[in-house]
Amino acid sequence: MTLGHGKRFLEYLFTVWVIVTLNFALPRTMPGDPFLYLSADEGDEVARFSQAQQDYYQRQYGLDRPLAVQYGTYLCSLARGDMGYSIYYNQDVSRILFQRLPWTLLLVSLAVGLSSLAGCLLGSLSAYHRGRFVDRWLFPAIVAFSEIPAFLLGLVLLFTLAAGLQWFPLSGAMTHFATFEGMMGKILDIARHAALPVLTLTLVRTGGMTLLARNSMTTVLARDYVRTARAKGLHPLRILTRHTLRNAMLPIVTRIFLSLGGLVGGAILVENVFAYPGLGRLMRDAVLVHDYPMIQGIFLLVTVSVLSANFAADLVYRRLDPRIQHLESLRS
Amino acid sequence: MKPTRTGWRILLLLIFFILPMACGDKPEEKAPVASGDAKTTALFEVDVLRLAGGDWGYPTPFAHYPRGPGGFKMCLLFDSLLERDEKGLIPWLAESYRIADDGLTYWFVVRRNVLWQDGRPLTADDVAFSLTYANRHAATWSYIFDTIESVTLEGEQTVCVKLKQPHAAMLDNIGRTRIIPRHIWETVDRPKEFIAPEAVVGCGPYRLTDYDKAHGTYRFEAFEKYWGPRQRVGAIEYVPVGEATLAYEKGEIDLTTLSPDVMPRFKDDPTHNIVRSPAFWGYRLLMNMEAVAGLRERSVRQALAYAIDRKELVEKIARGAAVPGRMGILPPDHVMAAQGIHFYSFDPQQAELLLEGAGFRRPDTTGLRQTGDGQPLELTLLCSSQEVRMAELLRQRLGEVGIGVKVISVDGKTRDSRVRAADYQLAILGHGGWGGDPDYLRVRFAGGSMGPNAAPSHSGLVGYNAPVLLDLLNRQQTEIDPARRRQLIGDIQRELAEQVPEIPLFYTTAYSIYRPARYDGWMFMYDHHSLPHGKLSYLTRSGVALKR
Repeated sequence: MTLGHGKRFLEYLFTVWVIVTLNFALPRTMPGDPFLYLSADEGDEVARFSQAQQDYYQRQYGLDRPLAVQYGTYLCSLARGDMGYSIYYNQDVSRILFQRLPWTLLLVSLAVGLSSLAGCLLGSLSAYHRGRFVDRWLFPAIVAFSEIPAFLLGLVLLFTLAAGLQWFPLSGAMTHFATFEGMMGKILDIARHAALPVLTLTLVRTGGMTLLARNSMTTVLARDYVRTARAKGLHPLRILTRHTLRNAMLPIVTRIFLSLGGLVGGAILVENVFAYPGLGRLMRDAVLVHDYPMIQGIFLLVTVSVLSANFAADLVYRRLDPRIQHLESLRS
Repeated sequence: MKPTRTGWRILLLLIFFILPMACGDKPEEKAPVASGDAKTTALFEVDVLRLAGGDWGYPTPFAHYPRGPGGFKMCLLFDSLLERDEKGLIPWLAESYRIADDGLTYWFVVRRNVLWQDGRPLTADDVAFSLTYANRHAATWSYIFDTIESVTLEGEQTVCVKLKQPHAAMLDNIGRTRIIPRHIWETVDRPKEFIAPEAVVGCGPYRLTDYDKAHGTYRFEAFEKYWGPRQRVGAIEYVPVGEATLAYEKGEIDLTTLSPDVMPRFKDDPTHNIVRSPAFWGYRLLMNMEAVAGLRERSVRQALAYAIDRKELVEKIARGAAVPGRMGILPPDHVMAAQGIHFYSFDPQQAELLLEGAGFRRPDTTGLRQTGDGQPLELTLLCSSQEVRMAELLRQRLGEVGIGVKVISVDGKTRDSRVRAADYQLAILGHGGWGGDPDYLRVRFAGGSMGPNAAPSHSGLVGYNAPVLLDLLNRQQTEIDPARRRQLIGDIQRELAEQVPEIPLFYTTAYSIYRPARYDGWMFMYDHHSLPHGKLSYLTRSGVALKR
């Protein structure tokens, strides 16, 4: 390992330590404690915990110990790969996270994929016909669409496509207490349930992606080599895909990976509308009930997913733009 | 070709995500399924009832979440010594009970021929063990923790419970503590973390046959060897629901609560039954008499009660689905609500007179009143972000009688902790439990300390001292004779209405809707506001569960 690599590793370790420490400190700076229930949501009944009962729970979860001791215990557990035991959900944090993660991943990855695809297509179309009829209508329509809040769009789709036309189920991620004819039946059922949440997220994200693609494409379309390609009499589709889109992809790729990084919280509103079992709802509820270990676990997962997405973006970027590799090799 | 390879990769990734979910029923998540599941329609009035789900925790007495839907699911699996019908407590696992005159000793005669869901017999020893266990380990929905001196067996069927101190609410508290099998729980030291399949073996009318934490689904099936009244419903399924009214309309669930706004849609349709729930969930205005000297004056507190239009709050905030608060605190549906309590109808003129009398003069007819030292009479009102509209209405009405109000909106947990730390002047707090044993009045108003009980109706009253009320509250706590206690509770309500130590704003009355042709067995427990929460909602009303 070179000196540079060692320094980078230390920097990375320091970043992780800062993040882990913030994860520990942030939930504890919120006023209130996990066992104090003076109020409830309207119509909801909460258990009365006597002071003796509260003390019992505080002892059981080690919350009565000094913060420094709690912090040390947290770091030691984390080093062993133990994310702790949820105070509210009564289960290992890691287990709860891994039960929910695939559902959010399914929604968000499909939505990011589809919205990127649609955004690139519409953006290219808009840029290619810039100032003409297609662009004049498409551009404001996309801008207007991207401003609709996700939950509102979700509700509209729910009332029209699910309740009205009955094409899709109203809620949940699958049909429960039902028997399926083989694995394919179950996969189709999951796909039907995911359709509306994915559609909602896709529609909401397509606007931003289209605008980005349009801007990027507009810049590239003005380049000399595109003019040359046109002059050569190449087919417009070939110019768009081979010559323009590939070069306009860099900011789009960055955007796609940034969206993936924020996948945990990204679907929260849509998950609420469709009662979908994702991480977004879990995060909201964990914060509301002050479940410290759960909040720490989710924040850690968010951090890891953002870092991984950045890392992946870096890798893909290098493949898309050989100049980066070339520059790095020149430097070394 | 490159694009094709990428396409394959995407497809593989999708399969990677979806396949584990498609095979996602992990065996350890399932509760034990006893043999002989097949039920025939003839046995039950309805084979399967579907209700709105959501994850409320693994339904053991210790692991469910501290919320109503969690607790009442657990009650389907676990019976208790006493049960609750429309009028009060009824004998259940205890055939009969007796209380010593000093209120310290309770005897319960345990029913014979009761089986656990794993086939073993329930004995009085199990009952003694359960009470001792709940006294040592805090169960989520039991209030006997650290209150019992000893539990002993007298003969084969009688359990004798000696308390640390007499307490009129203890029959209710012991009576609703869940009975758990000794052979499963005696080696468990951390009950909140005990989520093994056998942890849900109870002796109640239903067995848990499916639970999925991530999806929030539960399935309960009738326990065929249940000792008690026959089940009317073969299975109860809880499924995830996004928009509940829509799910009800589409027949995905069989009962839901209804917002007043959509009621007209169903009102004239005879295929639906709409039921108003008793008013056991309410909002209260707390007044910190330690922080604001003026609030120590009874007439000032009475003035506030006159100045706030509680009927307006019912109309504008609850959209009619509530009843105005009563200064006697107990809601009108409470079994011990006294009649003829002074109501304090909206009367700003009376409020102004009382404020003038207390020395809060108003230099002009529109400005703020002034305190004795010439400062403007201005108070802060702490509320959660969900109660801002209510707080604004209060600000408007109090402003009209010359009391300035500054609304401070924070999140619910912050509000709770500030109330707990007495860091407020006025505060709005909303919670359920108003239909419970009226001993909650003692915990609310007996002295300035928080007392041993803290929540939710136990937010303490800061800076308040009323010897007459205190004496009445302490006497009712040890009064075991029901008639004498009722008399005392009546006196307490009258004294509260005179003193106005806090102002109940309104008690909500939610509406539930169901199709009677599908199932019509729903009932309200005497102290609770939710239809599907009552265990008797699913049982035939004969024998011990006879409808009174």
